[in-house]
Amino acid sequence: MAEGWPKQRQVLGSKVPRLDGAAKATGRARYTYDINRPGMLHGVMVRCPHAHARIKAIDTTATRKTPGFRALTLIGASRDVVITAIDGNKLTCTPAGKKKAPDERISIEVGEGVTLIKNLKVVTLRDIQPGDRVTIEAEQWVIGRELFYAGDEVAAIAADTEEHARDAARALRIDYEVLEHVVSEDEVLKDRKKRTVPAPSNFTEAKGATQGDVEAGFREADAVVEATYGVPVISHQCLEAHGLVAEWTAEGGLTVWASTQATVSTAQQLAARFGLPAAKVNCITHYMGGGFGSKFGPDVQGFAAAELALRAGAPVKIMLDREGEIVAAGNRPSAIGTVKIAGKKDGTITAYAVDCYGTPGYTGGATVNLNLLPYVYSDAIANWKRSHAVVYVNAGAARAMRAPGHPQNCVLTEFAIDDLAARLNIDPVIIRRKNLPPNNPKAPPNSWAARRNTIYNEQIDIALQLSRWKEKWHPPGKGNAQGPLRHGIGMALHTWGGFAAAQPNECYVIIGRDGSIIARTSTQDLGTGQRTVTAVVVAEVLGQNPASIITEIGESRFGLSSGSGGSTTCPSQAPAALRAAQAARDDLFKKVAPKVQADPKDLAIEAGKVVDRKSGRSWTWKEFCARLGMEEARGRGEWSLGIANEPGNENISSGQVGGVQVAEVTVDVETGLVRVQHLVAVQDCGLVVNRLTCESQVAGGVIMGLNYALFEECIRDRATGRQLNADMEFYKLGGLGDMPKITVHLQDMPERGVIGVGEPPVISTAAAVGNAVFNALGVRVPFLPLTPWRVLQALAQGGKVS
Amino acid sequence: MNNFTYYQPQSVAQALPLLENRWGRVELLAGGTDLLDRLKEYVSTPERIVSLTAIEGPFREISAIPQAGQPPKVTIGAGVRLVDIAESKLLAPYPALTTAAAQIAGPQIRNMGTLGGSLCQRNRCWYFRDTHIQCLLKGGRKCYAHEGENQFHAIFTQGHPCVIVHPSTLAPPLIALGATAQIVSPRGNRELPLEKMFQAPSKPDQREHTLAPDEILLSVTVAPNLPPGTRLANASYEVKQKVTSDWPLVQAAVAFAIEPGSQRARNVRIVLGHVAPTPLLSPEAAQELEGKVVTEATAATAAAAAIQGARPLSQNGYKVPMLKAAVKRAILLAAGFKPDWE
Repeated sequence: MAEGWPKQRQVLGSKVPRLDGAAKATGRARYTYDINRPGMLHGVMVRCPHAHARIKAIDTTATRKTPGFRALTLIGASRDVVITAIDGNKLTCTPAGKKKAPDERISIEVGEGVTLIKNLKVVTLRDIQPGDRVTIEAEQWVIGRELFYAGDEVAAIAADTEEHARDAARALRIDYEVLEHVVSEDEVLKDRKKRTVPAPSNFTEAKGATQGDVEAGFREADAVVEATYGVPVISHQCLEAHGLVAEWTAEGGLTVWASTQATVSTAQQLAARFGLPAAKVNCITHYMGGGFGSKFGPDVQGFAAAELALRAGAPVKIMLDREGEIVAAGNRPSAIGTVKIAGKKDGTITAYAVDCYGTPGYTGGATVNLNLLPYVYSDAIANWKRSHAVVYVNAGAARAMRAPGHPQNCVLTEFAIDDLAARLNIDPVIIRRKNLPPNNPKAPPNSWAARRNTIYNEQIDIALQLSRWKEKWHPPGKGNAQGPLRHGIGMALHTWGGFAAAQPNECYVIIGRDGSIIARTSTQDLGTGQRTVTAVVVAEVLGQNPASIITEIGESRFGLSSGSGGSTTCPSQAPAALRAAQAARDDLFKKVAPKVQADPKDLAIEAGKVVDRKSGRSWTWKEFCARLGMEEARGRGEWSLGIANEPGNENISSGQVGGVQVAEVTVDVETGLVRVQHLVAVQDCGLVVNRLTCESQVAGGVIMGLNYALFEECIRDRATGRQLNADMEFYKLGGLGDMPKITVHLQDMPERGVIGVGEPPVISTAAAVGNAVFNALGVRVPFLPLTPWRVLQALAQGGKVS
Repeated sequence: MNNFTYYQPQSVAQALPLLENRWGRVELLAGGTDLLDRLKEYVSTPERIVSLTAIEGPFREISAIPQAGQPPKVTIGAGVRLVDIAESKLLAPYPALTTAAAQIAGPQIRNMGTLGGSLCQRNRCWYFRDTHIQCLLKGGRKCYAHEGENQFHAIFTQGHPCVIVHPSTLAPPLIALGATAQIVSPRGNRELPLEKMFQAPSKPDQREHTLAPDEILLSVTVAPNLPPGTRLANASYEVKQKVTSDWPLVQAAVAFAIEPGSQRARNVRIVLGHVAPTPLLSPEAAQELEGKVVTEATAATAAAAAIQGARPLSQNGYKVPMLKAAVKRAILLAAGFKPDWE
């Protein structure tokens, strides 16, 4: 069995400040936005202003004459071809590398508006001959292109300054045929045959599943509640917008500084696009300002920046502006569902049925995690039915967003539970406890399946205590009023995976003869604290202070790593760092042992010193490393889901967590204002690597969830099809003053190994806040965000829950 | 943004000749918190920018003159920053104004934004601010908010083709306090009650104020004229969804004199903000309170009168009860009641 986590821990699980905290706080840390290369040009995206349109004509003449203009590329106007014949300025070619239509013949006259690229250089007719593989971009090929939302990318333009690039973009003359659009789900529901998107119709028939006998479940219940709940489309709102700086090197390679959650995959995608060996592309992400699931590749603007850099012969930076960031760079899709729930007086849920829909934008899939509905409790509820229909609208496509589908699931389940509890006249905690998924005694002892019921019950106990639930809970709407203020408290539960990634993750540790230690990995730190996590693990194994570890992270050339999605980074990278540090230590012992007349297996690191357990001799770290002479000690570590699943590794990393959150609110019934006063987050996360950044992750998730609960919503105009709040003015995000006291409790379970915690804490916050508002008012506010207008409307209607 | 020529006159006298007698080609720059945004979004495309930032003297100062038996007469230069209004000791008798200033946006805006900017800024309607949408104010044929997304728009809509809300949070308390505006143009100086400085625009050659394109707002003066022996009560109350960096959903500013002994309210002025295309004096509400002792009940009656005449749009009916609460709370705050809503 491989060596696991150290039994005696010095650093692991303690509170280690971020190694890059000072650099970030002082502005010394250079994010992609801060990268400025010699001779660098500024690029901007040109977007379709209409929600649905077709390009009728395009004229780039004026653009090319604007001051400072350097290069232009049209999205969807280039093709990779093999030249078959050249006749004057007329080229005949076939599609390159396409097996689908090998017989297709393409003819094009080379002139204004046609760009030829060969071997990654812009060339003229004279430079090509039959048989050459060439990329042709032709303005005429963009004619007829259909654009599906206001913000859809049409072109990218580079100029010497950002202002000049914007002027050049405004000078671009595009004649659009404006087509019918629809931006709201209800308009599609009224006319399901409508087609304004790539799919055959804007409405896709619902998919679903059933277990048990739902109707019997409703019949045997003491109470049945039916209501419609919903959550809106929200934006990731990454503080650092999407984008990258692309620079072609003299050797024909490509270096990009990208704001990405996946350095390796971004480099691989660029290499594939430009036909380069992967090793010739380096993607650098030393610091990153938030991605939340929306930044897994170069993206349209990233490819465009590289294209423009190629055409202009200079580095190009494209960072999206705020409007582009919001309309085009992903979103969390909406979910609206009619839920019918039934239960007995003892809290047993006898049946749950949800019929829901949502929109992922103009393309994409389900907007809830349908397989996990009813959420959390599905394994305990005997009878359930679920269905979901995708509704397409003319808006930017959804992307993964911090626990995709789960917050939607959570609202559709947890709102219904509190409404049922109110009907049954019992504390909703009784229903939660009664319907928790059971432990599976046959599962491995530390696995989620074996312990989930116990874990949830413990978490509920802790959450009740930290929130003083017993003293504060009252039947809905029956609390003591203070003037116009009503107090309420609410709970919600969540679950998540957090396993290691399926793809291999590497880490390298190098010990120098001066005792210095480098930890090197291509993984990226999205702001989660991964850089510090790597240092903590290496420092633990080698008996050093984390601050002394030189961390080199965030470059694709540093080895293999996976994208930071699914909360996989820490459970992949911490074990990789563990193994790399152990291997480097073993290499150090092996190399130095002969020089100090010791046996490597007697050597150990204790309290920062290397000791020979046999002779009792000891050396300081520096003394010992100095014996390396001209050598250095190296170790490589690798981890992945496959390795984690090997027997004996279940204590190193695992997955599946639960969490419980309790929100306490006051609601002003005259103004409809909701203020969250206290938020308790109890989170299972296995072995805590760095307590400080782990708690920070949970608090950050809660803050994001609070914004979902109270403020966030993409508001799209039916008439124009445009998003009206693609900004930070009316797309509301809470500030410090809007944030409650947040109490984070990490439920340490080191025996479960490292589990990712990035996503779970965001899931149940909004549902807990919604339930707290219900508890305060005795009236359900069924749709998020819980704005004053929704609260006042619900109060005026008396909260129709049938 | 489009290229423009930048002027930085040293005095108001030097600035005046740089203006034109029509809107569009010239914009005045003070704190820039509104104008820069409009320039970057191509909502405004002036050829000339006249910066007022180098003008010193009364334009940038707050001055107070004591008045016998009255609160002081205070003149605030149009170039005075919001933060300086919020923190001014000279303005201490006017909490309606200082608390309103202290709540505008966030510290960055308050450190840059000015009184003149607050009063003369353009509206925040999202249709108006979207360069790709041709609304009435930009020469288009319709106001999109009437049938569209109007949760943040006016509820006093009768007779208004354009249903913006006036964005100034300082105008309502100033109007409640009976402030006057001092304005200069090539034709000389003029002064008018501040409430007369606003209008509901409906076409491109109209602004949210009544200043001519070649006029500059110099200052605003607060000089209450209370019945002898009375004391001034004043307050502003606004409802914002977020604590900071948000626009009020509704605002109420009140000022009245309180008679000694009887404690009756006299000379009541109640102004509603962020609910109409202009800051809105509510004589109906004022009349309800006039001559009465402020109690929960009389405040509520006045508040109920304030919302008469509201004609909300499809999505902003919520503003009606919210405004009622704001008026009631502003009256109670002015009279010194301890808030029970905090």
